[in-house]
Amino acid sequence: MDERTWPNNNTDVCIRCAACMAVCPVSRVTPLFPGPKQTGPGAQRFRKPGDPSVDEWIDLCIGCRLCDLACSSGVPISELNLIARAKYLDEKKRPLRDWLLTHSYLFSRVASFFSPITNFLFKNRGVRWMADLLLKIDRRRELPVYESPTFRQWFGGHRSTGEKKIAYFYGCYINTNEVDVGKAAVQVLEANGLEVFLPPQECCGLPMLGNGDFEGARKMGLKNVPSLLQAIRSGSEIIFSSTSCGEMIKHEYNRLLAIPGAEEVAPHLFDLFEYLRKLKESGNLNLRLKELPIRAAYFAPCHLRSLGIGLPALDILRLIPGLHIENIDADCCGLGGTFGFKKEKYEISQEIGKDLKEAIDRLNPEAVLTDCEGCRMQIRHLTGLKVLHPVQLLRDALT
Amino acid sequence: MQYDLIVIGMGLSGLMAARTAAETGRKVLIIGKGMGCLTLFSNTIDLLGKIPGTMELRDGLSQWIKDHPDHPYSKVGLNGVEEGIASFSSLFRSPYSFRAIGDRNSFIPTGAGHRRPTYLIPGTMIAGASCNKALIIGFKGFRDFSAGYVAGPLKWRGTTLSVPSLFNREISATALSRWMERESFRETIARDIRKHLKEESCVGLPAILGIHDPIKVKMDLEEKIGVEVFEIPGLPPSLPGMRIFNRVKEWLIGKGVDFLYGYPVSEISVKEKEVKGIDVHHPPASGFHSADRFILATGRFIGGGLTADRGSVSEPLFHLPVAQPGSREEWFGKSFFDEHPIHRAGILTDSSLRPVDQTEKPLFENVWIAGTMLAGHRCIDEISREGIEIATGYMAAKNAMKQ
Repeated sequence: MDERTWPNNNTDVCIRCAACMAVCPVSRVTPLFPGPKQTGPGAQRFRKPGDPSVDEWIDLCIGCRLCDLACSSGVPISELNLIARAKYLDEKKRPLRDWLLTHSYLFSRVASFFSPITNFLFKNRGVRWMADLLLKIDRRRELPVYESPTFRQWFGGHRSTGEKKIAYFYGCYINTNEVDVGKAAVQVLEANGLEVFLPPQECCGLPMLGNGDFEGARKMGLKNVPSLLQAIRSGSEIIFSSTSCGEMIKHEYNRLLAIPGAEEVAPHLFDLFEYLRKLKESGNLNLRLKELPIRAAYFAPCHLRSLGIGLPALDILRLIPGLHIENIDADCCGLGGTFGFKKEKYEISQEIGKDLKEAIDRLNPEAVLTDCEGCRMQIRHLTGLKVLHPVQLLRDALT
Repeated sequence: MQYDLIVIGMGLSGLMAARTAAETGRKVLIIGKGMGCLTLFSNTIDLLGKIPGTMELRDGLSQWIKDHPDHPYSKVGLNGVEEGIASFSSLFRSPYSFRAIGDRNSFIPTGAGHRRPTYLIPGTMIAGASCNKALIIGFKGFRDFSAGYVAGPLKWRGTTLSVPSLFNREISATALSRWMERESFRETIARDIRKHLKEESCVGLPAILGIHDPIKVKMDLEEKIGVEVFEIPGLPPSLPGMRIFNRVKEWLIGKGVDFLYGYPVSEISVKEKEVKGIDVHHPPASGFHSADRFILATGRFIGGGLTADRGSVSEPLFHLPVAQPGSREEWFGKSFFDEHPIHRAGILTDSSLRPVDQTEKPLFENVWIAGTMLAGHRCIDEISREGIEIATGYMAAKNAMKQ
């Protein structure tokens, strides 16, 4: 691992106040994970670079970063966990499964091209049993459904027009699995006078980073940053609709991965709804919205919270006439990207999700809205409800 | 975005300030570098624990205000304190509500095994105030609460239950409280508790009776055990504090208050005597938020509202003057339980809670101070932390909104 990616050693500023212990979703559901206070600054005081890792529980950190937000002392708890996990997994060696889960971008285009076959296989019980048995990907977890054509292919045949150009980082999942979210984002941006273009892009690398593969994540960053820089230098801002990709590019590329140029990208990178909120504040948001008499509930993904921009989607959705929208009082959906697919972690993921499901049940909505694809997968899995990206609803409200 | 009010600080005083302004329909941003100290200190609401237990609180408070003209309560006034407390209480409706017993301080058992005076008590702790003989229950693996340690000084009995599914592992307060929300878990422990129960008329448990509906957990346990059950506040993380935080947060978000935590305010921008906005640095980007008014409620040393180096105490964000003992030698009393003058350090304000300079002139036209960072109190010795936070948070916002 690159020495530059090591954090400032901030463990001694921890005052042991246990605010992180009040919010950790994993230690709330299982005694197997001692919680952020112990696994982060607590254990860090005993770690020496040359010593073998003994952190057998470190891989249970779900990477939600809620501990970082709770801490009043500025301890980079999740970062300490991530670095300790990288060392632990480097020594223990990662299974093939982790490589497959974090490199889906390599085969997603093929999977999309052959989507009828992919989806048949992914839904097939026998295949899922085999994946469970051989790869330890839990058979109870639905595998993503692939769509064809991809978002990028659709956009190739689409002519975007507007007064001002704006770049869109759509992310892997939108491209091959939830194409409609990308279409909706494009339609909403165009309805606000923006001409959308797609800079060349690869997976942001978050799945790899989350699995402690700093090198793999860094490679993705090194591919994305020059392309994003080019978009910025041509005078455009960049929009993302996946809060996880956005958090990764805006903050982790610079902070954890030290990717040259990331610092220049960050101030020009906006969450889709954060950007719409900016338009609203300057009086430039298209407010011609029709009535949508739906009872919906909004869930703020962990990485949106980590972005520190408030709840912009909720701010904008509240402008849709007739829409009854409530904020879901729960933390973390429990999927944690690839975490919830892994056999040894599936039950922890489900237990965390149970708290979210109960919070949703209390509101009894017709649809759930959330900005993160992982949360959408998990909420569908938990509730069977209709789960959308907020931009899909906003698109439906456009006149 | 131009806000009517930006509140800096995520503790009880900041939350109350945001609530007070949001209630009048103002556009509010509340921002904290962490999630505040509610999960550290607060379980019940202390108002003035120092006064004799027989005294009605209203009488005690008005006497206190007469005797301590520089105290935050004196700046808020008796009516202001009562309005603030009423505003806080109205957030918590049945079943999980706060109340005082006969407008006096009540003495509730704590995790340190003694009784402490406090004023507003959540429904889960009420029974502890009047219980004469309780059986105290701890859990093996939950190291933040020792039944024997609590029961001993109170001359009660304590017992520690083994939870079969835990084996030899440790369990966190949040995990235990989540188990407590399960009927089957309650069934198991109620059976064990019944076995241990002798002539006790109630059962005391650590304050882990669930997050979402603790009253339901309590009532179900009472039905299963057959005697009254109460929670005992203990070490952080405080779940009762978490319940307060969650409730106020949900109320604020429902009212459209922008709620940001996790990143510190790095800089303020000032033009003449008016604060224009704040910079929030989230590497490698920064965000700027502007407002007409600002309330600073960043707490004391743990919250980061005050910092101390070897020689003096300062306020790091607005660089406000801090009233403090003359030299470091005067910071601490001789023994741990003596009064320590450092606890009296804080921000000097005028009667409307605006920070002032040595000549008592307001330093800014649009800044108010709330919470324990104010000078003129010793909330630890007075047992008045939450009362000061609520009353000054409420009044700072009232005063700010008048302008």
